[in-house]
Amino acid sequence: MKKLLVYLKGYKKECILAPLFKMLEACFELFVPLVVASIIDDGIANGDKGYVIKMCLLMVLLGAVGLSCTLFAQYFSAKAACGFSCKLRRSLFSHITSLSYTEIDTLGTSTLINRMTSDTNQVQTGINLTLRLFMRSPVIVFGALIMAIIVDPTLKASGIFFLTISALAVVIFGIMLVTIPLYKKVQSRLDSAVVTTRENLTGVRVIRAFSLEGKESEKFHQKTALLNKAQVFVGRISALMNPLTFVIVNLSICFLIHKGAFLVDSGNLTQGEVIALYNYMSQILIELVKLANLIITITKSLASAKRIEDVFEIKSSQKIMADENAEDCARAVEFKNVFLRYRGASEPSLEDISFSCKSGETIGIIGGTGSGKSSLVNMICRFYDPEKGEVLINGRNVNSYGFEELRQKIGIVPQKAVLFKGSVRDNLLWGDAGATDEEIYSAIEVAQASDIIEAKGEGLDFTVEEGGKNLSGGQRQRLTIARALVGKPEILILDDSSSALDYQTDAKLRQALKNLDYNPTVFIVSQRTASLSHADKIIVLDDGKIVGIGKHEELISSCLVYSEIYNSQFRREDI
Amino acid sequence: MKNKSTVKSILGYLKKYWLLIILSLILAFSSVVLSLSIPILIGDGIDLIIEEKNVDFEGVGSILIKIIIITLTVGVLQWIMNGINNRITHNVTKDIRNRAFDKIKKLPLSYIDSHPSGEIVNKIISDVDQFADGLLMGFSQFFTGIVTILCTLGIMFYLSWQIALVVVLLTPLSLFVASFISKSTYSLFKKQSEVKGQGTSIINEVIGNLKTVKAFSHEDEELLRYDKVNNELERVSRKAIFFSSLVNPCTRFVNSLVYAGVALAGALLVIKTGAVSTETAEAGALTVGVLSCFLSYATQYAKPFNEISGVVTELQNALACSGRVFDFINEREEASDKGLPRLEIADGSVKLSSVSFSYTSEKELIKDLNLSVRSGMHVAIVGPTGCGKTTLINLLMRFYDVNEGEISIDSQKITEVTRASLRSGYGMVLQDTWLQNGTVRENIALGKPDATLDEIIAAAKSSHAHSFIKRLPNGYDTVISDESSSFSQGEKQLICIARIMLSLPPMLILDEATSSIDTRTEMKIQSSFSTLMKGRTSFIVAHRLSTIKEADIILVMKSGKIIEMGSHEELLSRGGFYKNLYNSQFEAKEEIK
Repeated sequence: MKKLLVYLKGYKKECILAPLFKMLEACFELFVPLVVASIIDDGIANGDKGYVIKMCLLMVLLGAVGLSCTLFAQYFSAKAACGFSCKLRRSLFSHITSLSYTEIDTLGTSTLINRMTSDTNQVQTGINLTLRLFMRSPVIVFGALIMAIIVDPTLKASGIFFLTISALAVVIFGIMLVTIPLYKKVQSRLDSAVVTTRENLTGVRVIRAFSLEGKESEKFHQKTALLNKAQVFVGRISALMNPLTFVIVNLSICFLIHKGAFLVDSGNLTQGEVIALYNYMSQILIELVKLANLIITITKSLASAKRIEDVFEIKSSQKIMADENAEDCARAVEFKNVFLRYRGASEPSLEDISFSCKSGETIGIIGGTGSGKSSLVNMICRFYDPEKGEVLINGRNVNSYGFEELRQKIGIVPQKAVLFKGSVRDNLLWGDAGATDEEIYSAIEVAQASDIIEAKGEGLDFTVEEGGKNLSGGQRQRLTIARALVGKPEILILDDSSSALDYQTDAKLRQALKNLDYNPTVFIVSQRTASLSHADKIIVLDDGKIVGIGKHEELISSCLVYSEIYNSQFRREDI
Repeated sequence: MKNKSTVKSILGYLKKYWLLIILSLILAFSSVVLSLSIPILIGDGIDLIIEEKNVDFEGVGSILIKIIIITLTVGVLQWIMNGINNRITHNVTKDIRNRAFDKIKKLPLSYIDSHPSGEIVNKIISDVDQFADGLLMGFSQFFTGIVTILCTLGIMFYLSWQIALVVVLLTPLSLFVASFISKSTYSLFKKQSEVKGQGTSIINEVIGNLKTVKAFSHEDEELLRYDKVNNELERVSRKAIFFSSLVNPCTRFVNSLVYAGVALAGALLVIKTGAVSTETAEAGALTVGVLSCFLSYATQYAKPFNEISGVVTELQNALACSGRVFDFINEREEASDKGLPRLEIADGSVKLSSVSFSYTSEKELIKDLNLSVRSGMHVAIVGPTGCGKTTLINLLMRFYDVNEGEISIDSQKITEVTRASLRSGYGMVLQDTWLQNGTVRENIALGKPDATLDEIIAAAKSSHAHSFIKRLPNGYDTVISDESSSFSQGEKQLICIARIMLSLPPMLILDEATSSIDTRTEMKIQSSFSTLMKGRTSFIVAHRLSTIKEADIILVMKSGKIIEMGSHEELLSRGGFYKNLYNSQFEAKEEIK
C-alpha cells in the first residue's frame, strides 16, 4: 500500500480535511447526550421552559453543523479517492504496456485485466471509506469513553465503559477473525460448484455421449452438500454477533443504573447524567459494528493494493544495450548459436539455432506443432531475449536497437489475427501513423483484401467492432497482413498467417509479395509445404532444433522430417 | 402476474421447512416484544433514581433483575432464530441449486447451444445466491421490522400520544430524504457504469492483445486513448460517489431533528404536568424516565424504516433473480425415455429415411435425406468450414431430434430406445476437445470408470498420447485444471482419442482434427484410427484426401445442406461442387511440381 500512496500526493489537502471534518462531526454528535442531561437536570428540574427550548435548538444546531461538516468530508474524500484511482489506473496501464512478452506470459492477461479493473476499484473504495470513516468510529468510541469519564470522573459508574468496550471489541473482532477464513472456505466450495456447472455445459455432448449425467449430478449434489455444511457452520458463528453484543450492552446498562443509583443517592451524580451515560453506551455499540465492517473493507483493499504493487514491482526484463561489434553487412538477419528458454520451462524451446539470410530473400520456416517456429520469428522482433547466442539485424545485435526503431524495420503478422475497435483506417495506420490513404489502399491490394473493403461499402471508414467480431477469420487475417505492409517494412514476418486463406488466395498473396517494389526480406511460417515451396531457403525445425536448411527440392531428398511432412500432406499416390 | 407465480414456486420450496419457519416467526415476534420492553424498564428504573437521598434501591434492584432476565432471554431467542433462518436459507438454496443443476441433463441441446454457458452458470450460482441473501434474509428483517414498528408505535402512543405524534410525523422525512437522494443519484450511477464499461473494454482490448500492441510499438497511442476515458471516469465517479454518500448524513440529520423534537415535546410535557417521578406523578403524567425511554425509541424507530426500504429493493431484486432461476427450471424438457427398451446393436447398420431437419423454421437445412449405411461402412462428410457438418452428428447422437422422417439402427428407431443406450453405441471424438477437472487417468477412463491402469496405458499408447503423458510431472495422475494451459490443443485431442480407444464402442463418429495437430502426428493418429475403424460403422468429418477417397459414401455439405452424395469416383464424374473442392487441393500440388 505504501508505494501506492504516491498517487495521493496531489490530494494532501483533501486527505487531511476529509478526516478532520469527519472528526468534527463526531465531536458534535458526542455533545448531544450532555445537552439532554442538562435539559433534564437544569431545564426540567427548574421548570425552565425557555432553557429547554434553547437546548433543543442547540441540538438541531449541532445536527446541522455536523451535517455540513460531513458534506465537506464526503466531497473531499470522493475527490481524493477518485483522483487517486484515476492516476493509479493510468500509471498501471502504462506500466503493464511496458512489460515484455516474458512478463506477459508469466502474469497472464486475465490477471493483468483484473488488476486494472476490480483491484483498482477495491482500492478506491477502501481509500474513500478510510478517509470518511476511519476517524469517525474511533473518535466516537473513545470520545464516548472520555465523555463518560468527564460525566463521572470517579470512574465508579463510568469504569464499566472500559470493560464494555473491550468485551464488545473481543466479540465483534473475534467473530470477524474466526469467520473470515471460514467464508473463504465457503467461497472456494462455491467456486468448485461453478466449475462443475460450467463443465457440464461446455462438455454437454461428451457427458451425454458417455451417459455420465447421473454421475455428474451426484457429484454436484455432493458439492452443494459440502457448501451447505460450510455455510451453516459459519452462519452459526456469525449468528452469535447480534445476541452477544445485545446482552453485553444491556448488562452494562444495568450495571450503570445500579451504580448510578448509589451515586445519585450520595449526591455525586444527577439523574440526567445517568441518562447521558446510558446514551453513550448505545452510541458505542453502533460505531463498533460500523468499524468492524470498515475493517473488512480495508483488509480487502489492502489485499488488492498488494496485488497491484506486485505488478508494479515486475519490471520489463529487456534493456537496450550497446553493440560494439556492430558491422554493416548484407546479411539482413542472422542467428548465431541461439538458445531460447521460456521462463519457468525446464527445456529450451530453441537450441543452437544458426542461420543467416540476405536482404530481399524469402525464408520459409516449417515444422510440427511445438517445434519452435513462432519462437524463432518472435526472436527476430526481440519479443524474447536469447538465453545464449545473438540475433543480428543488418549486422547489429537486436538488443541494441530501440524498440520503436526495431519494430519499424519489421512488419509482423501474428498467428492470432487481432484487430481493434475503430475504423479500418485506424487499424491499418498502426503500421505507419503517417501513411496516406493511397498507401493504405496499395497495402490492402497486396494483402488480397480489396474485396473486403469494397464489399463493406464504407471504404476505409468501415468500423471494426471490438475483437473484429463483424469480420470473418479470413477477412481479419488479410487485414492484419495489410496492416504489416502499410509501414513498408524491411523485414516482413508472416507467422502462419495464411492458414485461414484458401490455396488460391494464398498463392496470389505470395505472388504480390514477390513483386513489392521495396523488396522486403520475408519470413513465412507455415505448416503447409505448398506455401513454402517457392522460398529461397526453408528452415525445417523439429523439437527446437534445425534439422534441415535448403530449397524445397534439396530438402525433399535430404531431410527426413521435411519429406515426412510433405508426404503427410500429399501422398505419393495422389500426385 | 409473473411475480405471483414466482412467489408460488418459492413457497413450494419453503413448504418442507414450514415448522422451522413458524418457529422462526414466533421467535422473531417474542424477541422483538421483549427487547422493546427493556427501554421502558430502564425508564422506570431511572424514575426511581431522582436525586440525592431520593433513591428507591429496592425498586431499582427488582427492575434490574427483570432487565437481566429479559436480556438473556432475548439473547438466546435471537441466537436460535438466527440459526434457524440460516438453516432455512442455505437448505432452500441447496435444494434450488440441485434442482437447477439436474435440469441441465433434461434440457434439449438446442437450449444449451443457444444460451451462453456463462449465462446458465450465473443462474445456478449467483442468481440463487442473490435470492438467498435477498429474499430469505429480507423476509426475516421485513417481519421483525414491521413488528418493531408496530410495537414501538403502540407503546409510544400508550405512554404519551403527544410525543408519539412528533415521532410519527417527523420520521417519514428521513425516508423521503433517502429515497430522494437515491433517485437522483441513479442517473449518475448509470453514467458511471457506462463510462466504466468503456474503460473496461479498452483494457480488455489492449491488455488482452498486449502482444499485438507491443509488436507495433503502439503503447503510447493506446495510453492516450485510455486517458480520455479514464479522466471522464474520474469526473463521473466523483460526482456519483459524493452524491450517494449523502444518504447517511442526511438521514442522520433528520434523525437528530426527531431526537430534538422528542426532547423538546417531552421536556415541556414533563414540566407542564409537574411530575418528576412516578411517585409524585398524577395518573397519565409524563416522567423523566418515560422521556428517556422515548429518546431511546426515537433513535431505534427510524432504523427499521431504513431497513425495510432497503429490504424492499432487495426483495425486488431477489424476486427478479429467482424468477430467472424458476424460468430456467421450468424450461421445456426433452421427452422422457423412461420405460423405453435399450438399443440392441447387432452389426451397426444405420438407416436414415426421408429425414428433414432445421434449427430454425426460417432456414431449412436437411431435406428428405435418405441414406443407408451398412454394417462396417465408412461415411465421410466433407465441405468447407462452417458448412454444418456437426448437424449430422447432432442428429445421429440424438442431440437434436429430426423434424421429419426417422433414423434407425439395426431396424430399431432411435426415438424408441433410451438415449443413453444409443449414445453408448457410438464412440465420439469432436474437434472441440473437452477435458474434465481431474487427473489424466480419470479423463481417459471417462467412458469406462472401472478400467485398470494397464488398459488405460494401452489405450493411450494406441492414440500416441502415452509418450507425452509419461513426461508430465505426475504422469497419469497429473491434474488437469479448468483452463489448463499446460496442454496444447493437440495433446488434449490425443487424450480424447484415448478415451474412445479404451471404451471401443461398435460405431464411431470422428471429427478429424487437422487444425490443432501437426500433420506428422496426425498421420500417426490416422493409423490408429484406421485400426479402430476396421469393421466399425463410422461417420467421419474428413479433411484429408486419403480418408475421403477410401470412404464408402461421401456426403458433401455446403452452408448447412447436403448437396451431393456418392462415392469418390461418382462425385468426380458428376463434376459438381465436390470436383471443384477436390481440384482446388490438386492445383496446389501442381504448383509444387
